[in-house]
Amino acid sequence: MTPLRVALALLVVCAVAAWQVTVIPASMMQMTVGASLVPALVVGGLTVLALLYGWSAWRGQQVDESHAPEQSPLPGASTRTLSLLGGGLAFMVLVGPLGFILPATLCGMGVARAFDAPLGLKSLAVCGGIASVFWGLFALVLGVGLGPGLPWLI
Amino acid sequence: MSSMDALLAGFGNALQPVTLMWGFVGCFVGTLVGVLPGIGPALTIALLLPLTYHVPATSMFVMFAGIYYGAAYGGSTTSILIKTPGEASSMMTALEGNKMARNGRAGQALATAAIGSFVAGTIGTLALTFFAPMVVEAALAFGPAEYFSLMVLSLVAVSAVLGSSMLRGLLALGVGLLLGLVGIDLQTGQARFTFGQAQLLDGIEVTVAAVGLFAVGEALYLAWQGRESRGSEVMKLSGRLWLSASDWARSWKAWLRGAFYGFPIGALPAGGAELPTLLSYYTEKKLSPHPEEFGHGAIEGVAGPEAANNAAAAGVLMPLLTLGIPTSATAAIMLSAFEGYGIQTGPQLFSSQSSLVWTLIASLYIGNVILLVLNLPLVGLWVKLLKIPPPWLYAGIIVISTAGVYGAGNSVFNVGLLFVFGLIGFTMRRFDFPVAPLIVGLILAPMAEQSMRQALTISMGDWSTFVTRPLSGSLLGIAALLIVVPGLWRRWRTEPRP
Repeated sequence: MTPLRVALALLVVCAVAAWQVTVIPASMMQMTVGASLVPALVVGGLTVLALLYGWSAWRGQQVDESHAPEQSPLPGASTRTLSLLGGGLAFMVLVGPLGFILPATLCGMGVARAFDAPLGLKSLAVCGGIASVFWGLFALVLGVGLGPGLPWLI
Repeated sequence: MSSMDALLAGFGNALQPVTLMWGFVGCFVGTLVGVLPGIGPALTIALLLPLTYHVPATSMFVMFAGIYYGAAYGGSTTSILIKTPGEASSMMTALEGNKMARNGRAGQALATAAIGSFVAGTIGTLALTFFAPMVVEAALAFGPAEYFSLMVLSLVAVSAVLGSSMLRGLLALGVGLLLGLVGIDLQTGQARFTFGQAQLLDGIEVTVAAVGLFAVGEALYLAWQGRESRGSEVMKLSGRLWLSASDWARSWKAWLRGAFYGFPIGALPAGGAELPTLLSYYTEKKLSPHPEEFGHGAIEGVAGPEAANNAAAAGVLMPLLTLGIPTSATAAIMLSAFEGYGIQTGPQLFSSQSSLVWTLIASLYIGNVILLVLNLPLVGLWVKLLKIPPPWLYAGIIVISTAGVYGAGNSVFNVGLLFVFGLIGFTMRRFDFPVAPLIVGLILAPMAEQSMRQALTISMGDWSTFVTRPLSGSLLGIAALLIVVPGLWRRWRTEPRP
């Protein structure tokens, strides 16, 4: 990823947003300002800014913190990042069939792995403890709707 | 009822055992999140928003105020003991305070930070008490055009003045505004930017965006770097947790000067806490009889900036409570909490929710006392928290973030959105885009649009209403100057002179 690619990504977002502005249906109500004026203005402004950012990035004037001293990633950056995102994905896929605690434990283990904690019993125990405490605090004490804690309670 | 009577009634409410308990919980949690790296008041309040359905508004806002003030207090402990400023406003404290800790004076650094925070927080709250009704009085003359212009000014100020690049700030704002327009248009009932997804019809929840950007984004960035797991050196708690006569003599003027920088600058649309802390630091350095100590552990270099930081926290509440304008990410999320309760913000808040507002202000005074009592005796506990290994700390942060978002509506879609915002936050952090404009834009976009449409309806579609009305025109003029002047100033400074 480079600043230039960020600019391209922003321009893609602007293009998609512009298409979405065109599909806003016209209102049947008689109004001074309709539903699409402000979105059109925002998308237009954002496109101009993204172009300016792209131009500035093209000239090498935009920063990438990973090039700063002491900020560059150590080897294994992609694995660590994917491990964290994998934890989130596991939660999303499993929270329906398994309740909150087990998916949240897996999510925590993925995050801990991203910070170099080995996947093992210790990680399982600590993350299981964290997930159980939060479920107890949120769902049982504070009444937040986290759903059942464990699969056999579903 | 005069302001003083209203404040006394507020104290009556704030001192009720249940309200007091929420204030205490807020101060404790706030200090905790201030101490822990990677978690701040904006994220914490965002996470606690789902609770707003279960707890009365007054108690919840008293707790939020405690979290807000507590985080400012707690940040100093981390800065002093591990030289890791949680926010830019704690940078000076980290610089001088950590040097004091290395010289065996950690206790004195923590004490001057805590007492200074108390003094400045109280001065800031006093200023809020006396100036807020005046601002409300003036703001009652605002019509939709003035409100729109004021919001434009705030949006521009937060984006263009804060951060290292105006272009990146404005881009973050643009993305925030775009996201703020997602969902059903309240005036026409038309769906916008929803891609046919029913889950997006209600718009993007602030909790999801804020938690994703702050918690998941930060964790992703630190995991990607891979340096956090090596941990930081936590300094030993050395020296007495109190000030000697000489330390008092060197600290008290710095506290007062810091408070007088912090409140007014914090109350400005783009003031924030960074500028007053920097100003305070350099003022103390200039006025100190021991300027050679600065950079090597000068107590004034901790006392002044910490006081400025806390007074600025009170200042930020001024535009939020009087005008309904958030000038920081935390204030933006508090505004969203008001909306969650169906409370109309703006000048009318003081009349329509007088009891809530004055209880909140009274609880700020009480919170300052609680924090002073809580901070120093519990410093040993805060030090222990700093030693939590990063894998378990971030696992806890992400699990609680996921729980908070999932618990708000049992929506897996929102959890997915949380991680998408995490990736956006990661990209923003890596390429140095400020997050606050995105959050403020997300929250203010629908409000600004509504004011604009009301103003245009009143003026029969005449756009010149925004510039011909004197106050509205002036506000837009200041916004334009904020965009143009920094560029001209930079060019003037870099131009070669004969």
